[in-house]
Amino acid sequence: MTAAATTPPYPYVGPEALRQPIEEALQRVVDPEVAMTIVDVGLVYGVTVTDERLHVLLTMTSAACPVTDVIVEEVELELEGAAPRTMRVDVELVWEPAWSTDRMSPRAKAFMGW
Amino acid sequence: MPGRGHAHPRARVVARLVLVPAVLLALLAGTAGGLVRAGIVLPASGAWLGQAVLGHAFLMICAFMGTVIGIERAVAVRQPLAFAAPLASASAGVLHLAGAAHAATWVAAAAALAFVAVNMLVVARQRAAHTVLLLTGALAWLAGNGLLVAGASPSAVIPWWFSFLVLTIAAERLEMTRLMRRHQGASQMLYAILAAMLLGSALSAVSPQWGGLLYGASLAGLAAWLLAFDIARRTVRTRGLSRYMAVCLLLGYFWLAVSGLAWCMSSLGLPARDAALHALALGFVFSMMLGHAPVILPAVARVKLLFGWAFYLPLLLLHGSLAVRLLARHADLGSLAAGAAGNALAMALFAATLAGSAIAWRVRHAPSHTPSTGSHDDAVAAP
Repeated sequence: MTAAATTPPYPYVGPEALRQPIEEALQRVVDPEVAMTIVDVGLVYGVTVTDERLHVLLTMTSAACPVTDVIVEEVELELEGAAPRTMRVDVELVWEPAWSTDRMSPRAKAFMGW
Repeated sequence: MPGRGHAHPRARVVARLVLVPAVLLALLAGTAGGLVRAGIVLPASGAWLGQAVLGHAFLMICAFMGTVIGIERAVAVRQPLAFAAPLASASAGVLHLAGAAHAATWVAAAAALAFVAVNMLVVARQRAAHTVLLLTGALAWLAGNGLLVAGASPSAVIPWWFSFLVLTIAAERLEMTRLMRRHQGASQMLYAILAAMLLGSALSAVSPQWGGLLYGASLAGLAAWLLAFDIARRTVRTRGLSRYMAVCLLLGYFWLAVSGLAWCMSSLGLPARDAALHALALGFVFSMMLGHAPVILPAVARVKLLFGWAFYLPLLLLHGSLAVRLLARHADLGSLAAGAAGNALAMALFAATLAGSAIAWRVRHAPSHTPSTGSHDDAVAAP
């Protein structure tokens, strides 16, 4: 689990102390079909942390994906473990802008033979 | 998670109480019908068994696979009305077994029509090649069921039914291949192969020979395309659930190629019809199902599973018994029955494996409320 990357995998707004724990939590959510984490696939569009709310924008590669709810729940579960107890975890599913391969991490691209 | 607004708990309750027994009934009766067709004497009797023998393909493809795919899509679109399609296809299976075969065909046609509507919603939400292919698959199902209502012969109906399943799988694989670098013309090649398959389906009604040849060639072409461009060749190098899924896919592609070849041979009058149908249905479609059940089931049935090596046992039995059934057949006529029995046992063993993995997950997570234990994390990391 290396969180380090030269460019951040998604826009992050919030306290610096939570940046890494949140990224590590998100890196624990794996899509077994592609054998990669949702961060590497580029499904996380952004994270905004305020005093009482941890807001994540998440997309899926397909609108016909039946596993969507399971992935959203796993993200919530992992973030609830990483965030302060008083914080509300709020995962929002978005379809705009549509996911593209540009969002894949260098590690993901290397794995898929780019 | 408590209070998730999008979970549609009522739809899930309906799915569990009505659809699960109906899906199991279609699978069990369809399998029983298949076993009798393979020459096995079952310790069962009754009018339903006769119906099951007659309607083996209808039960397996429309009532079982059609319902499973319908549920999967309904869960994906998060629209309770979308469950009308699987409810109808499941009812069609029950009606058929109850002796109302003609009514069952009409209800199946209605199911396919509803499923087309659901897929139009998917396309409206995401206009992409793979969603359009899913819709095309639904239309192929509708074409097959329409022909069935009109009283067409099995040789005219069956290619459309398989086109429905193959297009559904191809669409999902195309979506995955987006993760790989686009090969110039790869998508166009896939569309050409699938167009040939649809043309072969249509042609089968008027000329089973030419239609069958085109259909078989397109299946073999699709197998080659999937082997060349699917991510499974990469994910098979990982471990745990991801590797298992990739193994299921790659074995499926092998049988898809076998089916294509057998479909061509059968069209030329050679005795390869059982191989054409069952390499496709069991080797390709069921292998996909075995591969995806550990991720789809938690999504549609809210059951957590712990992946383990035991999942390879039913997979091995399925493919081994299929090889016996199809390849050893010419040496020994009894191998059809033995192979078919092995196919059925593989499904039973898979059901037992799923049940065991659900229990294993509960045992593993017995001291409740341990944070940070995502099921996929466990699933992938498990030996």
